[in-house]
Amino acid sequence: VSAATLGVTVLVLYLGVLFAIGAAAHRARRDDTPADHFLASRGLGLPVLFLTLYATAYSGNSLLGYPGEAYRRGFAFVMATGFMMAIVVVFHALVPRLRPLAVAHGFVTPGDWIRHRFGAEPGGTALRLGVALLMTVALGNFLLAQLVAMGHVAHQVTDGVVPYWAGVVGLAAVVLFYETVGGMRAVAWTDAAQGVLMLVGLLALLGWVLGDQGGLAATTRAVAALRPAAVAVPGPRECANWVSSIALLGLASVVYPQAIQRIYAARSATVLRRALAMMTFMPFATTLVVTLAGIAAIPRLEHLGGVEADTVVPRLLADWAATGPAFAVLAALVLLGALAAIMSTADSVLLSFGSVVAEDVFDWPREDPRTTQFGRRIAAGAMAALALLALSPQLTLWRLIELKMELLIQCVPAFLGAIHWRMVRARAACAGLVAGSALAAGAVLAGVPRLGGIHVGVLGLGVNLLVAVLGSLGEGARASSRE
Amino acid sequence: VSRAPGPWRRRTRAVLLALVGVLYGLSIPWYRSAAAEPRLVLGLPDWVAVAVGCYAAIACLNALAWLLTDVPDAPDEIDGAGR
Repeated sequence: VSAATLGVTVLVLYLGVLFAIGAAAHRARRDDTPADHFLASRGLGLPVLFLTLYATAYSGNSLLGYPGEAYRRGFAFVMATGFMMAIVVVFHALVPRLRPLAVAHGFVTPGDWIRHRFGAEPGGTALRLGVALLMTVALGNFLLAQLVAMGHVAHQVTDGVVPYWAGVVGLAAVVLFYETVGGMRAVAWTDAAQGVLMLVGLLALLGWVLGDQGGLAATTRAVAALRPAAVAVPGPRECANWVSSIALLGLASVVYPQAIQRIYAARSATVLRRALAMMTFMPFATTLVVTLAGIAAIPRLEHLGGVEADTVVPRLLADWAATGPAFAVLAALVLLGALAAIMSTADSVLLSFGSVVAEDVFDWPREDPRTTQFGRRIAAGAMAALALLALSPQLTLWRLIELKMELLIQCVPAFLGAIHWRMVRARAACAGLVAGSALAAGAVLAGVPRLGGIHVGVLGLGVNLLVAVLGSLGEGARASSRE
Repeated sequence: VSRAPGPWRRRTRAVLLALVGVLYGLSIPWYRSAAAEPRLVLGLPDWVAVAVGCYAAIACLNALAWLLTDVPDAPDEIDGAGR
């Protein structure tokens, strides 16, 4: 059996399973309300919640972008294991307070928290719109990265039979289908299946990374001989970037709309905290494995630069598959696992995109079934537009991740700040959001992604917090003097 | 009946999260000279092995902290959250 036939067969089988799950989820729906479509009527149990959190958190960025960055930077990218774990640590600051409010007040989108917290306070609507727009841009960026990754992997898994553009368009259509007919139920169920597939694929990849190259020590020695800087102790600038990356990813990821909506969708608080306890170990099974794979590629694949380094994993697997039929099957499994990771994130992002734009940007009511229809149409339009953009990728996957996080992190004061500090005022939080976003976006547009190794988004958050705190204190003082 | 966590649970959770913070500080090799020649430990450069060890400890402590975290199912069971 040729690699192409094998790849096409497993791809068709996999897509068939997704269609079946989408149809089953469609039959299981209770009604057409936004709470049922976007949150599966808040009924996700432990196995499904854990696997959907896992499959959503680890995406095409993780499986293709992280090895690419590890290939470019060497062992210093072990920081990725730390920052992925930081997400589950930072959730301690959000989940215990947000979850009970979400259950009591029937939150569906992140904007529902802003509405609840700031009510009719001056600046409340502007803050909700500002947060929603940043989330929309971040989700669009995230979806774009998944579409690019889908195209690469579909091309690779079928040994070139499916061209990049057809991978992007075809798989985008599949995701759109099951997300539209099955909503969160279809997304979570497919995520569960995709999460299992991803774990199996990654374990196979780990076995190969450790076995095929004579073990970890031999790989490290080979990397050190070819590129000593990849093994050297990081300098002060790299250490500053390490701290900044943990802050950027840890803080920004907890305000991912799809993560917040999973906090809302858990069947119970007990299920949620158990799922988060399990999630804390997953960077070892995922991020560390792909980081080591990227580093192991240094002695095998020379001189890949820029966007090209994002194809490190598919190239390694192509080498592996060429060594025998059994390895070809395993390589196809790993690629299918990568595709599962990408599609499981794309579907979650798409679902959140539709709900955030419909409810938080256009302010459609969360009890009205017409909001669900509107959200579906928005998701379809966004998917079509981003699929067109994905046909000519310009940035590395890691850079797309950083850009998204630098904007998303500006939402942190409106969530973590406002949930812990009663003094936060909507106008001040909104001014902080605008100041932080302007600094981060301005620096990126000026071609300055970092200052002294610190991401401009993290610096923007500093300004954002300062404006929000000083502005809130000022408003509080003015209100006291009027009384 | 209040489901508020007992003081020992709260204190233990706070200690665990503080240890997580310390381990994050240790995982970054800011205290090592960039000119130092790394030795291999478990097949990894020593500073990478330290980072991975710290992250393994963080995972265990954080999981324990989540099991000790009380996430109430109603807003009146927590104090001072939002409105």
